[in-house]
Amino acid sequence: MPVLEIKNVSKQFGGLMALNNISFQVETGEIRGLIGPNGAGKSTMFKNIAGFYATTKGEIVYQGQNISGHKPHAIAEMGIVRTFQETTLFQELTVFENVLVGCHIQARSNLFSAIFKLDKPRQNIARDQVLEVLEFMGLSERQEQLASELPLGSQRALAMSIALASKPKLMLMDEPFAGMNPEETLHMMELTRKVQESGMTIILVEHDMKAVMGLCDYLTVLNFGQLLAEGTPAEIRNNDKVIEAYLGGSK
Amino acid sequence: MELIFQSLINGLIQGGFFALFAVGLVLIFGVMGVVNFAHGELVMVGAYTVWLLHAQHGLSYFFAIGVAVVLVTLIGLFMERFLFRPTQNDPLAGLICSIGMLFILQVVATLVGGEGPSKQVPPPFHGTWVLFEYLRIPYQRIFSLLISFFALSTLWYFLTRSKLGWALRAVSLDKEASALQGININRISMIAIGIGASLAGLAGALMAPLTNINPHMGHNVIITAFIVTIVGGVGSLSGAVLAAFLYALFHTFVTVYFGGTIATICGLVLMVVVLIVKPTGIMGTRISE
Amino acid sequence: MNSNTQKIVGGSLLLAALIALPHFLKFHHQDLLIFLTINVLAVSSYRIVTLTGEWSLIHAVMMGVGGYTAALLFKYYEVGMWVTLPMAGILTAAVAALLCFPLFRTTQFYFLIGSFAAGEAIRLIWIQFVFPFGGTGGLSGVEPPMVGEIDFMESIPYYYLALSVVLLCLFILYLIENSRIGLTLHAVHWKAALAESVGVDTWRYRSLAFVIGSFFVGIAGALKVHYLGTITPNQFGVGFMVFILIWVIVGGYNKFYGPILGAVVLTLFDESIRGFAEVRPAIYGAVLILSILFLPLGLESIPSKFKAWSGIGKERDPLSLTDK
Repeated sequence: MPVLEIKNVSKQFGGLMALNNISFQVETGEIRGLIGPNGAGKSTMFKNIAGFYATTKGEIVYQGQNISGHKPHAIAEMGIVRTFQETTLFQELTVFENVLVGCHIQARSNLFSAIFKLDKPRQNIARDQVLEVLEFMGLSERQEQLASELPLGSQRALAMSIALASKPKLMLMDEPFAGMNPEETLHMMELTRKVQESGMTIILVEHDMKAVMGLCDYLTVLNFGQLLAEGTPAEIRNNDKVIEAYLGGSK
Repeated sequence: MELIFQSLINGLIQGGFFALFAVGLVLIFGVMGVVNFAHGELVMVGAYTVWLLHAQHGLSYFFAIGVAVVLVTLIGLFMERFLFRPTQNDPLAGLICSIGMLFILQVVATLVGGEGPSKQVPPPFHGTWVLFEYLRIPYQRIFSLLISFFALSTLWYFLTRSKLGWALRAVSLDKEASALQGININRISMIAIGIGASLAGLAGALMAPLTNINPHMGHNVIITAFIVTIVGGVGSLSGAVLAAFLYALFHTFVTVYFGGTIATICGLVLMVVVLIVKPTGIMGTRISE
Repeated sequence: MNSNTQKIVGGSLLLAALIALPHFLKFHHQDLLIFLTINVLAVSSYRIVTLTGEWSLIHAVMMGVGGYTAALLFKYYEVGMWVTLPMAGILTAAVAALLCFPLFRTTQFYFLIGSFAAGEAIRLIWIQFVFPFGGTGGLSGVEPPMVGEIDFMESIPYYYLALSVVLLCLFILYLIENSRIGLTLHAVHWKAALAESVGVDTWRYRSLAFVIGSFFVGIAGALKVHYLGTITPNQFGVGFMVFILIWVIVGGYNKFYGPILGAVVLTLFDESIRGFAEVRPAIYGAVLILSILFLPLGLESIPSKFKAWSGIGKERDPLSLTDK
């Protein structure tokens, strides 16, 4: 059963058609790669799904419900969470606190219970959950460090931990391997697979072809805002249109 | 009918003043990213200079205007170098420094002019131009209007036709890209604040014979400048000029029928509405994310 | 546990000092102490607004809203301070809640200017509508309560009253800041988009902080008007707003006690330059500029700077700073 259906989605900025009538489906539990040359519209697609942009036309259906036009926080509440390009973290907070913010949906409290500490049981559950996530992502030893003090690989893992803490069903990862050395990339791939095995559906935008081919179950290729091809990594690798688009783009 | 025409003319002259100081505020914000809260005080210093030199010491009005412009420009350059440049990565810090400057300038004005009632400058131009028998425009106002138009056109010519003006606009569009292009940002900032401050000084000098001069006159000036800037679109010079004249007409008419306080309240409400409905203002096109 | 005992002992000593303090002061200084107490609430309530990273310029006017609420209730409905005090908070919070709809559609610079404009508009309304606000002259004859033998018109009883109210408010503000809500407010400040992506409704939290801050500054306004007896629109103009900003910035806005420290130190400083009444604003302006340029994190940051400089008491070991 598809967890996410993109139905004839278009996004226009002024005169520029960033996405043109795109449709595809994402199945529950898969890792889907969204690839394409620069300016193909991958990030725009992401921002549309996560609610940071409103679609100009078309529907984004998540678990049978049209979510296009919803606010980012409302979409997060439904179980779609995104990570950001580069290292978008709460740099001034500790690793533990970063992930604690990620537990917002389960742990938020109202003013009254915050003042009178009536939310203590819930906060304790959240703290346990943070420890669990940190353990899972291998960050337990760094929990007291400031996010800004972490090396790049751990920062990415932390970004993923924040997302995981919100207990999503679908995770959108924006260039999780950018700027990493091969060793860090391998580690991050392992983590991603581990997250998938815990029952998560993952969509990722990525330029690192090696990582994409090794990790994804299925690929969707965009080019100039159009859907170019879909298929397994092996099919995409031998797809003439895709090869042409990439070679043409690099000229 | 007579009242309407008279208000129309007054509004137009008022618009010239509004445009002079609002354009400077926009230029400084556009290039340096800092809101100069002391901009009204720069106008005040311009007016005080004319009062001191012309009304108190009997020097020529034109000479006083010149000194006012030069003095205010120097204050502006000082602020750029010692307040805004050290804080250029934090726009809030720059703004707060300009608030500090505001107090200092007010106190200096009080020390120079003394406490007591507002100062007046007798108009150097006498006589009134009578048009169609019922329209009366004092020559003083005509002079102010002409000078404002002249200054604004010169600015427009400079920004659109000269290489430096082009660099200035480039910086206000994209600071980083301009720096990569080899434009010296500090130098452009100096020029922007130099122009902005000199226009504020000029506005103050021209207003001096037409208004009450006191250390706190900058307050109304900055409120007007904010309204004009927001309504016209932050970062849009032509928007600011257009909004200056529209708002001046609006303010003049509402003042005639309902009083000045109501006029300003309406202006402030209008500004909040523009902020909500179209934060880019009537002429703004840039989308900030 | 040890540090907790320390805190309790320190707190008790401070409280004892605050209670004993007015008895050692001359009348004029008792007056000053009451205003300082009220201003501490004004800056601390401003801090919670700035927690989300938005610097509002309407806080002083919101204090006025509280003050006018108390004055109007007292004058036209003849209710006492026990009613006007909470009502001032509630009504100010309500006005703030209404303002949230327009103001928090904007952020940063636009919010700053928008809040300034909204505040000026409110102030001009007080000036324009002589009924009920009394115009430029404002309202007068607002009295503090009388309970049995205790006349709160006297400085010392009023000081104890204000002190109790302010301490209670500070305690609540402290609890909020250190709760889940406080953490979320910090998150909204540092990375709004990231907070949003995990389900934080940033608009709601910005508004919440603004409404809470306004509630408490409304109470501060009511405390002020009941002591002074009069209220005018000019008490809450840009001048007072700038004072709040100066206290917060000079004290330091990264810690709860920073703004309080700023208010106390600058009030003492202000008292020491009393002789130079004419140039006082300029001295303040210079202090503001110098502290922004040379002590951007405020007085509060001096101890940690000193520690770092002398090399003792390092709290965090900066690991792996290289790998970036």
